[in-house]
Amino acid sequence: MSTVIVGLFEGVETAARAGRALKGLSLPAGSVTTISAVPLPDGAIVTDPEPVRFPRIVIAGWFVGAAAGLGLTIATYMLYPLITGGKTIVSVPPTLIITYEVAMLGALLATLFGGGREMGLLRFPPRMIHDPRIHDGKIALCARVEGDEQARRAMDAMKTAGGTEVRAEEGEL
Amino acid sequence: MSAEAPRADDHHLARTDEAEMFERLSRSNLVTTWRWYLGVGVAGAVLLWGLIVFLYMAMVGMGVTGYNKPVFWGLYEASLVFWIGLSHSGTLISAILRLTHATWRAPVLRGAEAMTAFTLMVGGLIPIVHLGRNWRVYYALPYPSSRELWPNMRSPLMWDAMAITTYLLGSLTFLYVGMIPDLALLRDKSAGWRRKFYSALSLGFRGTHEQWRRYHVASTLFAILIIPIAVSVHSIVSWDFAMAKTPGWHSTIFAPYFVVGAIFSGIAGVVIVMAILRKAFRLESVLTPLHFDNLGKLLCTMTLLWGYFYFTEFLTVWYNRNPEEWEVFGSYGGHYLPLFLTMVICNFVIPFPMLCLKRVRRSISLILVPACSIVIGMYAERLLIVIPSLARRNDPFIWANYFPTWVEFSVMAGAAAMFVLLYMLFAKFFPIMAISDIKERLFHTTGRTIGGMTVESIAQVEGEGEAHA
Repeated sequence: MSTVIVGLFEGVETAARAGRALKGLSLPAGSVTTISAVPLPDGAIVTDPEPVRFPRIVIAGWFVGAAAGLGLTIATYMLYPLITGGKTIVSVPPTLIITYEVAMLGALLATLFGGGREMGLLRFPPRMIHDPRIHDGKIALCARVEGDEQARRAMDAMKTAGGTEVRAEEGEL
Repeated sequence: MSAEAPRADDHHLARTDEAEMFERLSRSNLVTTWRWYLGVGVAGAVLLWGLIVFLYMAMVGMGVTGYNKPVFWGLYEASLVFWIGLSHSGTLISAILRLTHATWRAPVLRGAEAMTAFTLMVGGLIPIVHLGRNWRVYYALPYPSSRELWPNMRSPLMWDAMAITTYLLGSLTFLYVGMIPDLALLRDKSAGWRRKFYSALSLGFRGTHEQWRRYHVASTLFAILIIPIAVSVHSIVSWDFAMAKTPGWHSTIFAPYFVVGAIFSGIAGVVIVMAILRKAFRLESVLTPLHFDNLGKLLCTMTLLWGYFYFTEFLTVWYNRNPEEWEVFGSYGGHYLPLFLTMVICNFVIPFPMLCLKRVRRSISLILVPACSIVIGMYAERLLIVIPSLARRNDPFIWANYFPTWVEFSVMAGAAAMFVLLYMLFAKFFPIMAISDIKERLFHTTGRTIGGMTVESIAQVEGEGEAHA
């Protein structure tokens, strides 16, 4: 667990001022974030340093699904061949339909699991930083700090910008 | 160290009294009225009756239904198409509105998505009801059995099973992912077993900047993926019919015609569900006449599209005068005339002129008339697709008429009750309004003065880090 400075802000502009002040502390990338009940545009208060990667998993999921659908259909034809005069054992149009459906299912499941993983869902370390007052319209600005000096400067920056109930908490961002 | 005074132009996330807003939007979760118990009781009783009759049918055999030779498909198949059709607009509309950033979408999303999930559950069960030997449904599963009974992938019914399964899983996922921020809200606002329940379901979502960013990408991807799946599902349901060389079914236009019909009945279903939710949970300030007006415009467009497709289908058969097909269409003017008139009147004659009027679209009680009319008309259309084609098959010596028995009516009443029951339970335990989406929309909305008027102005984020007002 690390030390996180948390401050509550009434509005976006005051939180953004605090965010700019925290940048001056040279905290490592990804150490400052907001917790809010409404999504805020990237760069409004903090910037997410990490690119969103999971769409690649979705594409991979589509291909895995397509392979599974193709395999299922062809394996079914082969294991239980329906011999009909003048017709091929492996019929292309039904194969395309089944392949398409299973490919889309693969992409959907990949979005669910890839997105969930990258969002950090289903991760329950001992304590995650959170403040339910975000549902009253407040923005919680959080900064992971190291050492007392950095903590003091982060708290000062938040208080100066207009943050209320600025405190230090032990937990994960 | 003194704090700076808050600036007058500071952009607040809370645009209303948040506590009041939460209570208003979560009324279905917070307040349990006697009407809810009554509704659950009645729906549960009808469902139980449907189950008992289904068990009776399973024990005695399909002979207790109105099926005969050559009408082997009847009310059950028509109901399958109807329920799968109803499922269409929920998720599809929600996905399209999300992708097009329709500003009015937020209050409609959840109710529509839930409608899709539950109509699909009901629709997905009907093929099992219709099977005859229902206990052998596992024969349709592709697994290596000792009897080497593998499903026939060339059968459109097998395509159906794959498509409905994919759409059901996709719709449930779409509904669930859309609910995660609201489940986190309920977690933070509740106590006791509800807190544990919502904690487990919200999967640890807290609303960090990184989570929101990825959540939006995931939502967009789901919306992109679900649209082609929705289109494919009803196309495949149509191919159940079109792949057979049965007069009236073997048509290339069937897939788009079914998709249009599905969206048509689905939007009508969404209008009805929204009107009921609005009344039952006092959501008048959230589901405003504007939402019904917009849904009414969509419905009006779909009325025209449905009329166009039906006329196109009819015209080619009329011009061709293929005797086999013409006998089927001819029966619309004979034995099936009441059904045909119900379809035309309810799907076009009543709704089209009504929906052209803004006064009707903006009145919740008036718009229910064309919406209910369309649902009835589309059920009649499904019956007309399924029954006359079988009753007037190629050989006149086997022609027969069909009328469902009390068994089919009871089982289908049970299916309808199942939908109502699932929806009521969902509304009780899950957020029926997309609270986060509504809050987000409010956050992005400001009043902008143009001359002597103040108009609503919505900030739209086009790309990462770019905000255009």
